[in-house]
Amino acid sequence: MPKPLKLAWGIRKEGRSLWTRNAVKGVSVRAERRKKDGRNEWRRWDPSRSKVAASLLKTRGSAAALLPESGSTCLYLGSSSGGTVSHIHDNVCGAGNHHGGQVVAVDISPRMMRDLVKLAERRPGLVPVLGDARKPMVIAPYLRGKAEWLHQDLSIGDQAETFVRMTSAFLADGGTALLSLKAASERWMEGGDDARYQHTKGLIENCEHLDLIEVIDISVFEEQHAVFHCVRIP
Amino acid sequence: MKLHYDWRLSRVIDGDGVVHDEVTWTGKRSAGAIADRLWDLQRGRLSPEARTLAERFPDAQADGLGAMSDADWPALDDEESKLFEAAAPILAKRGVADAAGDTDRRLDMLVSAAAELRSAWTTSEARCVEWTGLFLSEVDLDAQRDDIPPAVAGADSIDSAATALSVNPPAHSPSEVEWQAIREHARGVVELTDRLAAHEDAIRALAHQHVPSLAALIGPLGAARLVTLAGGRERLSRMPSGSLQVLGAHAAMAAHRRGAPPPKHGAILFSMPQISRSPRWVRGKIARFLAGKASIAVRCDHFGGETWDEEKVSEIHKETEAIKARFPRPPKRR
Repeated sequence: MPKPLKLAWGIRKEGRSLWTRNAVKGVSVRAERRKKDGRNEWRRWDPSRSKVAASLLKTRGSAAALLPESGSTCLYLGSSSGGTVSHIHDNVCGAGNHHGGQVVAVDISPRMMRDLVKLAERRPGLVPVLGDARKPMVIAPYLRGKAEWLHQDLSIGDQAETFVRMTSAFLADGGTALLSLKAASERWMEGGDDARYQHTKGLIENCEHLDLIEVIDISVFEEQHAVFHCVRIP
Repeated sequence: MKLHYDWRLSRVIDGDGVVHDEVTWTGKRSAGAIADRLWDLQRGRLSPEARTLAERFPDAQADGLGAMSDADWPALDDEESKLFEAAAPILAKRGVADAAGDTDRRLDMLVSAAAELRSAWTTSEARCVEWTGLFLSEVDLDAQRDDIPPAVAGADSIDSAATALSVNPPAHSPSEVEWQAIREHARGVVELTDRLAAHEDAIRALAHQHVPSLAALIGPLGAARLVTLAGGRERLSRMPSGSLQVLGAHAAMAAHRRGAPPPKHGAILFSMPQISRSPRWVRGKIARFLAGKASIAVRCDHFGGETWDEEKVSEIHKETEAIKARFPRPPKRR
């Protein structure tokens, strides 16, 4: 048994696997493994089903820097049915939201929202929002303040443009923002996926409020995907 | 001067962050009432408090993102947090329930269900015909094809099935249990046929109501499939006619990106007799013409234009005939 490495309050890494401290004991969100450790229960975070988990394993920098702090305000654009959101919630809110965090999860699909609402009912602090994640006014009424952590995972065209707009509207100074770029969703471009990554990189570097820390290649876990790790310049 | 607001209160703030006026929601607070307020705010409307302040300070600029960015904005107290947390799922659930009001989603379910039924029907029907044909060697599998499943389903032995199809009894009969299996299979085929017909009737009715002009032009089933493939009527109506022309030709379009010649038409346009019954050298021309007309038709449907009548549609079909007549011979190969 490798010694667990603490990445954040409720997130740790054991060898090549990631675990989050389960906020709802005895319940798996999508049939992942659970294990007891003393009084706590840990839930396995599958990197091949979560782009955030994949980037934690693939980053060349500090994995802890990619994660939100407990008790912070987080915005998750494109939450789908809430697999990754549940792990983020484990860390940010904890059981019964004793950290006092807020995770706003936005998705446009009613089918996914159905599952997300069910998840949110058991997890105080998780706010489900049904709506277009590209429209700031759809999200603003739900946020209690600017987000310290933001993740965008939308499979639409113009992902980078949306990311720049949304971070400028919602990301707090010094806040961390992750963009999961699905190359296959972007328009056709001469040079294929690499050109799309370069285009995105250029857009982020040219905008004044973001500092690009690292482009994490997660193609091992998720084909044609890269995660852009950014920090808002104060 | 800026006007900041959220669901609880509204403030007028000047450039130095000094609060000039403030109005707080004093009505009875419940999760449902908060959900109603959030709904309005999401649509970019002002809260009633913000409207009051906007009247008092006509030159204050309303900023929907202002409250969220304001460091001095009062935090939610415990009771407010609790109510707010109950309100968000109410809105999300409302949205989930409203999805059934979206005709595009309903049409998508119908079209997809019918497509799955059809693929199941083709397999089952072919098996039923081959199975019966194995025993009844004299049955004409082409001319009597449609009669075979109902005849077998309604018979109580292979001999009576032979009588129903007016052929001689088989040289080798199936055992009793084997016959049961054949008959149950045939009943399944008959049932699938009926279900498919019912599905398609429902699609026709919905398509005539949702996209009447497009349905008049290319038929209700084709129109429904176009809407589904495009991902909704709005998307179809915003689509260039060139994209509409190749809807349903994904593989050919992917090949085209790698250098193959472009497809002339997608599967749906091809299913129109005006295209599939025309000589190959005019198909592209007619497909281009009809795709243009179809994209105008769906725009009429979506943006509330005049619905196309029979007369207009037959005019268009006359024009396709004219195109065909203009090119009676295949072009010379170079």
